[in-house]
Amino acid sequence: MTNKQSILIIEDEKNIGNYIETIVASNGYRALRAMSGTSGLSMCASHHPDLVLLDLGLPDMDGMEVLQRIRDFSNVPIIVISARTQEKEKVAALDGGADDYITKPFGSEEVLARICTAMRHHAQLDNAALQQTVYSRDGLVIDFDRRLVTLDGQPVHLTQIEYKLVSLLAKNAGRVLSYDSILKEIWGPFTDTDNQILRVNMANIRRKLEVNPAQPHYIFTEIGVGYRMLE
Amino acid sequence: MMGKARELGGEHYLRVNIGVTVVTMSLATLFAAVFFRYSNNSGNVGVIYVLAVMLVARFTFGYVPGIIASLIGVVGVNYAFTYPFMKLNFSIEGYPVTFVGMMLVSTLTSALTTRFKQQSALLQEREAMLAEAEKETMRANLLRAVSHDLRTPLSGIIGMADTYLKNEDVLTEKQKSEMVEGISEDANWLLSMVENLLSVTRIRVGDTRVNKTPEPLEEVVAEAMTRLRKRLPDAEVHVRVPDEFLMVPMDAMLIEQVIMNLVENAVYHSGQEEGGIDLFVEKRGNDAEFHIRDYGRGIAPERLAVIFDGGGMENNASGDSHKGMGIGLTICKTIIMAHQGKIQAYNRDRGAEFIFTLPIVEGEADDK
Repeated sequence: MTNKQSILIIEDEKNIGNYIETIVASNGYRALRAMSGTSGLSMCASHHPDLVLLDLGLPDMDGMEVLQRIRDFSNVPIIVISARTQEKEKVAALDGGADDYITKPFGSEEVLARICTAMRHHAQLDNAALQQTVYSRDGLVIDFDRRLVTLDGQPVHLTQIEYKLVSLLAKNAGRVLSYDSILKEIWGPFTDTDNQILRVNMANIRRKLEVNPAQPHYIFTEIGVGYRMLE
Repeated sequence: MMGKARELGGEHYLRVNIGVTVVTMSLATLFAAVFFRYSNNSGNVGVIYVLAVMLVARFTFGYVPGIIASLIGVVGVNYAFTYPFMKLNFSIEGYPVTFVGMMLVSTLTSALTTRFKQQSALLQEREAMLAEAEKETMRANLLRAVSHDLRTPLSGIIGMADTYLKNEDVLTEKQKSEMVEGISEDANWLLSMVENLLSVTRIRVGDTRVNKTPEPLEEVVAEAMTRLRKRLPDAEVHVRVPDEFLMVPMDAMLIEQVIMNLVENAVYHSGQEEGGIDLFVEKRGNDAEFHIRDYGRGIAPERLAVIFDGGGMENNASGDSHKGMGIGLTICKTIIMAHQGKIQAYNRDRGAEFIFTLPIVEGEADDK
């Protein structure tokens, strides 16, 4: 009972809060509720939850500020809940330390999948032994040690940059990575903020990995935000 | 020139009036002097002045400069170009008639010109008012469609939730799950409506422009399809994009909305039983051309012409069980127009085809 993982839900809207609580509670997590940013912060500090679901639209303070204040004292995985049209807000949240985001309105499966992914990545960060050495989904196999990519058994020839991109996304499978974070990781901190080079490379990768570039199976685009690889 | 003058106010009018009158009349006098020297014909000199008066009336504001110019003309001709030269004399036989005639002709010309100018300005104003009224009608149509389209699913949701809560004990399990399914369906539909409406707010109010950034075409199509799959998991859509990597300037969120609306429209309203819908993009000249093709019953001819102007929102005569498309197509048109693109609907041998285009290169239309 006590070793259940706990999830703190910071959400002022009662119905949505109830809904998320029902989802997480019925899937073996312990749900904690906070209706405002202030109480969310104090609960986060006192209860040490294993994950935080944070709505960016709170009555008493800006969700981004809550995010930063939590990051000041904790590296707990944080999933941000945001409205669809706010790409800039999503990017700011990701670059401000959020692990992932969910777009309103969302289904129960989506929430659970994001929670699982965030918790797993967090565990991997803490424990190097949990790090994957191979990514294998639906015929696509990436062997990180041997730097080898095969699709249905056939080797795929990727350039240096393309391999770096694919392996970065695969190591973070299920999480969305923002354009900026990818650019910094692959091209270094002093690259242009123009993401055109990234998107051209992604288009090339798509032509090598996907059957139909317009209906990708492995790497998904979140336009205005970044890329997410199949979990 | 007129518009500018209007902004600058009365003082500017006066300066323009005086300037134009003085310059034109001086030029006329100079011209008349040269002409008179070689031909010695006073009658022609009068004509030159009448012409000058007309020009003054054309390029000044109000009646006054024209009348003053005609006075200058009459006095000038009498003084310089008729006997006795360099002297005013209106009393010689025949002179009164000549000069009164000249005065009348030039005054009338100036009055007519001024009046004509005023009328054309009035006409322009009326045209602008008509365009405004048309916009108003479109807005009213949209509002009517919105309130109808919002109320329908809401009534369903409220009604079913209410029934469920009040009759929970007597309802069978099957009835209950049917109701919740109904609520979910209506709520999803409501969501797609609201998203449509919200998307319009991304178009800057007033100048109907959008913030364009170059986006890879395939990524936009792919994301639209991912979002559609959530809403229509069973829909069969065949998607094809050009092999060439294309960056198209657009507001991706809005174009996704258009793609989703058109595909959803094809799924719900084509009446197509089997086989899939085609969504393909081609590069044609400097345009990216998006095609959404279904193989259903097509569009009723009388609706084809008005389908983007709210013509699709009347109750479906064909007995469609799904609610009318309502504002979706109107919003598609608004979005595409704001991108300087084109959108059209066609009936094909079997089914209908919607085509919209987006300029690939930032055209001159954007620099205006």
